[in-house]
Amino acid sequence: MSKRLWPVVGKSLLGLAAILVLMFGAGIAVGYLSARGVVAADDAMVTVMTIFAVILMIGGMAFSVAWMRAIDEAAREAHKSAWFWGGCSGMAVGGVGIVLASLPQAQALQFVAWDGRTDPAAYMAAGAFAMMLLMTLGYFVVWAWWWLARTRG
Amino acid sequence: MVAGADAGLSMNNRLKVLRAERNWSQADLADALGVSRQTVNALETGRYDPSLPLAFRIAKVFGHPIESIFSED
Repeated sequence: MSKRLWPVVGKSLLGLAAILVLMFGAGIAVGYLSARGVVAADDAMVTVMTIFAVILMIGGMAFSVAWMRAIDEAAREAHKSAWFWGGCSGMAVGGVGIVLASLPQAQALQFVAWDGRTDPAAYMAAGAFAMMLLMTLGYFVVWAWWWLARTRG
Repeated sequence: MVAGADAGLSMNNRLKVLRAERNWSQADLADALGVSRQTVNALETGRYDPSLPLAFRIAKVFGHPIESIFSED
């Protein structure tokens, strides 16, 4: 790994640790306040989780920007190529699932989607996660192919 | 990848020869160019064509004009 990437990884791990500590603190605060009846536990939890999800994703984007700036142009090209070809291929596979799920025959289909749940939100999360997984899988396959084909030997 | 590669053109370069003349390792050249050793390897083997800014940096490092380092296949 390039020397320029270590500070990016270090700062990102620190940021992640800070988020986890803050999340832990917020969890305790919400538990305390809801036990005293100051706030409704469910509402407070949704609020806290929304805030942390946004912070986490902004942190993830900041990490990606810093990573892309720290690597050289060939490595950047590998990521761009992987995102386009791998991401599109993964999306194409996921697209088959979307078409099948939209058929009337799929209405009766029921399976545990997320943490033992079978409600619409769980299905939505499972669908989004499955698409993300397929795109990420395609991304890594293409990235590895691009990088190994050009840099080995 | 550069547009030329997409248009079916391939590029030759004299990076390996120029580096050898100076007794530089791939890592030395990588440091001078601000890229990774793997990128230098990909450039030398013709598996990756550099961007114009990197081609200018290469030309500057070796003290040669771009057209004397890179040529069309």
